[in-house]
Amino acid sequence: MGDNEIRQAFLTEAKEIIENLESDIVQLEENAGDREIINRIFRYFHTLKGSSGIAGFTEVYEFSHKIENLLDAVRGGKIEVTDSLIDLILDSMDWIRDSIFTEGEGDAAMNERKSILLGKVGEFKKPDASVEKPLKSEDAAKARAAAHEKEDAANKYKYYRVRASFIEKIFEFGIDPLMVMEDLASHGPIIKNIVDKQNLPEFEGIDPEKCYLSWDIIIKSKSALNQINDVFIFVKDENKITVEDVTSQYMSEEKLHAPVYEKKLGEIMLESGIISENELDEAIALQNVEGKRFGDIIVNKGFASEEEVEHAIKEQAILKKKVENTTVRVDTVRLDNILNLLGEIVIGQSSLSRIAHEMENDYGTQLKNIIYGLDRTTREFQEQIMSIRMIPIGPTFNQFRRFVRDIAHSLHKEMKFVLEGEETELDKTVIERIDDPLKHMIRNSIDHGIEQPEERVKAGKDPAGTITLKAYHQEGNVFIEVNDDGKGIDEERVREKAISMNLIKPDEEASREKLLSFLFMPGFSTAKKVGDLSGRGVGMDVVKTNIESLRGSVEIRSEKGRGSSVKIKLPLTLAIIDGMLTKTGNNTYIIPLLSVMETIRPAREDIKTIEGKGEVVSYRGEYLSLIRLYEIFNIKPRYENPWEALVVIVESGRTKVGLLIDDMIGQQQIVIKSLDNYITQSRAVSGASILGDGKVALIIDIFGLMEDVVSA
Amino acid sequence: MSKAIEKEFVGSRMADEQQFVTFFIDGDTFGIQAGKVQEIIGMTEITYVPRTLSYLKGVINLRGAVVPVIDMRAKFRIEEIAYVSTTVIIIVEVESRLIGLIVDSVSDVLNIPVKGINETPHFSSRIETDIIESIGQVNDNLIIIINVEMIITQREFEEVKYSGKRV
Repeated sequence: MGDNEIRQAFLTEAKEIIENLESDIVQLEENAGDREIINRIFRYFHTLKGSSGIAGFTEVYEFSHKIENLLDAVRGGKIEVTDSLIDLILDSMDWIRDSIFTEGEGDAAMNERKSILLGKVGEFKKPDASVEKPLKSEDAAKARAAAHEKEDAANKYKYYRVRASFIEKIFEFGIDPLMVMEDLASHGPIIKNIVDKQNLPEFEGIDPEKCYLSWDIIIKSKSALNQINDVFIFVKDENKITVEDVTSQYMSEEKLHAPVYEKKLGEIMLESGIISENELDEAIALQNVEGKRFGDIIVNKGFASEEEVEHAIKEQAILKKKVENTTVRVDTVRLDNILNLLGEIVIGQSSLSRIAHEMENDYGTQLKNIIYGLDRTTREFQEQIMSIRMIPIGPTFNQFRRFVRDIAHSLHKEMKFVLEGEETELDKTVIERIDDPLKHMIRNSIDHGIEQPEERVKAGKDPAGTITLKAYHQEGNVFIEVNDDGKGIDEERVREKAISMNLIKPDEEASREKLLSFLFMPGFSTAKKVGDLSGRGVGMDVVKTNIESLRGSVEIRSEKGRGSSVKIKLPLTLAIIDGMLTKTGNNTYIIPLLSVMETIRPAREDIKTIEGKGEVVSYRGEYLSLIRLYEIFNIKPRYENPWEALVVIVESGRTKVGLLIDDMIGQQQIVIKSLDNYITQSRAVSGASILGDGKVALIIDIFGLMEDVVSA
Repeated sequence: MSKAIEKEFVGSRMADEQQFVTFFIDGDTFGIQAGKVQEIIGMTEITYVPRTLSYLKGVINLRGAVVPVIDMRAKFRIEEIAYVSTTVIIIVEVESRLIGLIVDSVSDVLNIPVKGINETPHFSSRIETDIIESIGQVNDNLIIIINVEMIITQREFEEVKYSGKRV
């Protein structure tokens, strides 16, 4: 491995270790007696020390060594875990991070920081008299552990085995077992799912109004047993439902699947007791100086025999293979390229499909069938690639722990931080871009939402405020919620600010939703004084723009005195969707099929104009707003009368509208090409696509279209 | 090409000379740094885009990429004419994004020694000056060098955003 490669590998490794460290250190603060966490932190510093030495970061190596010694004393029970210790460890970690990634070594300011930190380390390690000290710290740790146990139990995962077998005529009771199962699934990830199809008759004999299936499911969840039982509360009596806590069986299994990672030769030899720590340190230091192979140095210095070194090398190779077998590091640029190529395949397929449809004879039919098959394959291909880019949001969420802690401390507020749905997966790009918006929202909650502890106690609340980050999948979308139990958003203040910004007139009525939506306007902030964190009024509008650039949407809800909730919705598929091709005037527009409910040709009498609502079209007993697409886009249509043209009934969220178009052309897979911000200000356009004939068609975003109409 | 220009083009480049792609708009000659020009294509079907700057005519399909195109006559507020066979689109790269510029016709790639705009005090232009980088001279011809980075300014962009209308 060349020098540069070693450096790169170290940087990647260091980044991961530091992220994990941060999360663990903050968790240690809340669970001071947790030996597991202490050991983990120790091992992280130990690895950092070793790797930094090999990569040539001598100062980091020496510093980590000192911290590692400190932690060794902690895990040996000689030093108690206190707030100042935690601060010291965090500051030390920051120094190491800065040294590796930004400042480099030998910088004067960095040296000063280092001396201060080392001074503090020295104070901790002062040999302080009695044997009593270790005992006391253990007691204190035990007490804290007991106090936290209740919280721990609530935060730990449990495994439940759910066996559900429904009676055949359950549908007649108006109950859909699938809904019950989906409710169950909302409590956590399903690890195993066996569907019993024994009672399913032959196809001809199936009565669609009877239920033949039963399930045997293992679900991993933080919920308590009674909560899982409650899922089946309405069906428990007539049907056979059993819920068992099988956590003990599964916890041990999880340990077997503990992550395997590459180990350095020195580490392996240390762990098997072939060499001592001192010998390892010496060898590493020598390696930096002499540049010889590690194994050679060990043998030369007599720390171990040649055979022992060979054995360790073999073990390293085995571990390496195990790691290589389970994971591959992929550059996201390559994945992007693959997705682009796939997009071009889809376009090519569209062209083929068009030609096939124009062929009348046998060849035409054969070609069409082959293309349907190809279509299915590309669809699956796309799903596979998208899933490679999906990573769980857990690590990102965990990173915020430190953030919440720091802000809470500086504002003198007490905070609890709860995470739900850490295993929810999102596209890597989305996760990277959602980082800042989330940080901002959390900052807002703590700064503006959560009250000071005294105020909270007066209001009958827990002195510590709780921020909950929640992530889950629903209907092809990912939802992320930031909820706080603070004082909620003061509608009156929002109203005042809105009036002062000329957004509404003083005597004008405004619904709560409208008021809350003002928070997304640039320059809007009702903070009384500009805290050093937020309240500069740059915030929520930037958050909204960021999320909209990911084709998502953001919503705020709030209840005075109880708290606020910000909900982000993001689409799961970024690149390829099914679209309906429509024509208005000379232009082709694509409507995402997901949004389309039905297409109708209304009768003349179905179109009316209602006072205060505008034009409406009658659809299945309701009157829906009629939107004339040609008006929104300022183009000349072929038909202006809805009864001569077509109306597409589209839906976004729970709102339905009728969209007037000239004609419907067809349906096909669409590769979404995003448009740069400056190309259009219309929120109704979410992107563009290249059709089979080479023409560009714009893609309509129904949610954005409705927004544009409302604000027009 | 006259012999004089040929010599400058074919000969070695001098210190304060750069290469420019030159083109015509309403009789005037303009130039863009050759390094920023990716390609020049003939007029092709433009898909109209709603709610945008008035001189942004829409987007085109450039071998699978969706590229916006600007009509330079509209940009410079010169009377617009119908597109003819010589009308071309110059594809330039601005901040790693592609934009197409519709111009009357394209001329040669020239090496031009550049003079700062201050050095020609009698110069008055119907074009906003921030887009003009400098003035070049080849024989008796003045070539207005355009800075492509200034083609769409933040200010104009904001105007569209907050007015909600075509600017």
